[in-house]
Amino acid sequence: MLDRRNRSETTMTIADLQPVSRKIKPPRRPPVILFDPARCTGCGECETACANRHPLDATPAAAAIRVLTSEKDGRNFVVYCQHCQDPLCLEVCPTHAIQKGEDGIVRIDRRLCTDCGLCALACPEAAPLKDPVTGRIEKCDLCNGDPVCVKQCPEKALKLTRGKALGWIKLLRWPVQALAFFLLVMVFVGTFCYFRAGSVSLQCPAGFLQNLAASRTLWMIGLGSAAVLMVLTLLLGRVFCGWICPFGFFLDLVGKVTPKFGLPRFFKSRMIKYGVLAGAVGTSAGLGFQPFCTICPIGSLCRSYGPNGVLNGAQMAFFPLVAAFEVGERRSWCRYLCPVGAVLALAARIGLIKIVIGARQCKKFSCMRCADICPTGIIDREALMQGVSPKIPMAECIMCLRCVDQCPYGGAKIRFQWQKTAPGEGVIPDAWANPSKKEACT
Amino acid sequence: MSGSIKEKMEAILTASGARGCVECGKCVAVCPMAEMYPNFGWEMSPRGIIRRTLTGEDLFQDPVIWCCTGCNAGTEVCPEGVSCRDLIRGLRCLAIEMGIQQQTRNCTICGAPFVSGPVVAFVRERLGHHTGDYMDTCPVCRQRRYAQRNA
Repeated sequence: MLDRRNRSETTMTIADLQPVSRKIKPPRRPPVILFDPARCTGCGECETACANRHPLDATPAAAAIRVLTSEKDGRNFVVYCQHCQDPLCLEVCPTHAIQKGEDGIVRIDRRLCTDCGLCALACPEAAPLKDPVTGRIEKCDLCNGDPVCVKQCPEKALKLTRGKALGWIKLLRWPVQALAFFLLVMVFVGTFCYFRAGSVSLQCPAGFLQNLAASRTLWMIGLGSAAVLMVLTLLLGRVFCGWICPFGFFLDLVGKVTPKFGLPRFFKSRMIKYGVLAGAVGTSAGLGFQPFCTICPIGSLCRSYGPNGVLNGAQMAFFPLVAAFEVGERRSWCRYLCPVGAVLALAARIGLIKIVIGARQCKKFSCMRCADICPTGIIDREALMQGVSPKIPMAECIMCLRCVDQCPYGGAKIRFQWQKTAPGEGVIPDAWANPSKKEACT
Repeated sequence: MSGSIKEKMEAILTASGARGCVECGKCVAVCPMAEMYPNFGWEMSPRGIIRRTLTGEDLFQDPVIWCCTGCNAGTEVCPEGVSCRDLIRGLRCLAIEMGIQQQTRNCTICGAPFVSGPVVAFVRERLGHHTGDYMDTCPVCRQRRYAQRNA
């Protein structure tokens, strides 16, 4: 039995029990170990190296890293502490022995730890390991920034990195959005709804449907122009919403300054926008003109610039109301209400492009940066928590590419629909829920 | 184990060294249950459990024996070498054996009991909003499943 009383590091003075006055602020990009399963041979060098860090209690089981090998399918995996942005072990530790330091490393204070194992219970990966001999909890402390496992790995499957986001897509998207706003609102006044420059003409697809219902005439030029946007969506997803839509740009700007209070549950149905679309088309058919288009915030914005383009009447009420939803969630209008987005969503559903979250490098529950920055909130936190790659519903994705741009580890990617997805995407395989599969569980 | 409940009880007391308890209370000072449960008191504390066992109280009906996290702390600080963890483990085993009460959670994958009910309730309460179904699996199975999903 390990005698903790005889260790110098277990001495506790009264000063250690004083509350820390200043708040510890971890760095935005802490050092982490990245693991590449494709390179790992399961040799166990990392375990040995880790166990021998403290030569006094060196046993192979005392390692803070564990290699899992599967003889059946020849895959290897390494379990180690990911040093989460928001550590769950820290929250459950009854003695507050776990702290996240200023260098972003999550450490166990040996003087306070009672080896109760609640941290392992709370961790989605069960990364704090219980030494079966001494009963001690072993958790990676990154060797204070210079991990031996990384140095010892013969296949370079482990890599120490601080992560590097792409960062340039953001620099591209904001100017494109601003330019589109400038062109659609200021240069060609009142033009998104029906935009014609010479022989090129574009029409809002939702407006086209309403026009069709209202006039009961199929204008071939309208059909062709509405089709252009649909084809663009088929090819690239809803890039219109993320990169071109002037109202989307406006909402992005508003969303940057407003706080977020969330929305009531009944409001949060992404099917509402299809209802709005059906309602808009239906009322057009009934009334013979396009009532929704008169209050459409996108159209209002497009027509608002210029001497005779002020907001009036119903627009005056509707436009700020919709913009005010931004205090609920980011891009609330686009998520739940926009009928233009609804038409494009129908095309994006069968589009060519998809976003894949959770490639090999993805740190899943420990990072969740993509889920934080997604303006439409379609990245499933619960799936990331379970270590599953979340499936992105392309109908809801506005292709702003924030996730691809900001992922520090390159775990978010653009792929064609037919290409391979991330490992373990979508639902949890049933084979693991099968109780007949009792292998090495003690 | 074989024999009557009384004999088993004796075996547990001998194995854990509970008779050596001098009631110094060092185990209570380090017990993490004090931080976990608002109703922590003498009845639940390791010293209380040891005393109650020694006085022959019927602890098998009492749900407090399921509150222990099974940590090392009390055992390590005890000057007399009493293992309160082993004592509680023995009491739990007996309670299950006699069919009086069982508050363990079984792993949904391997089926083995790995944690007791009050402990997992505490973890769920602390984590609040994100209590995924991974909480229902033992750490070993959880690691394997995570590896399966990500390798």
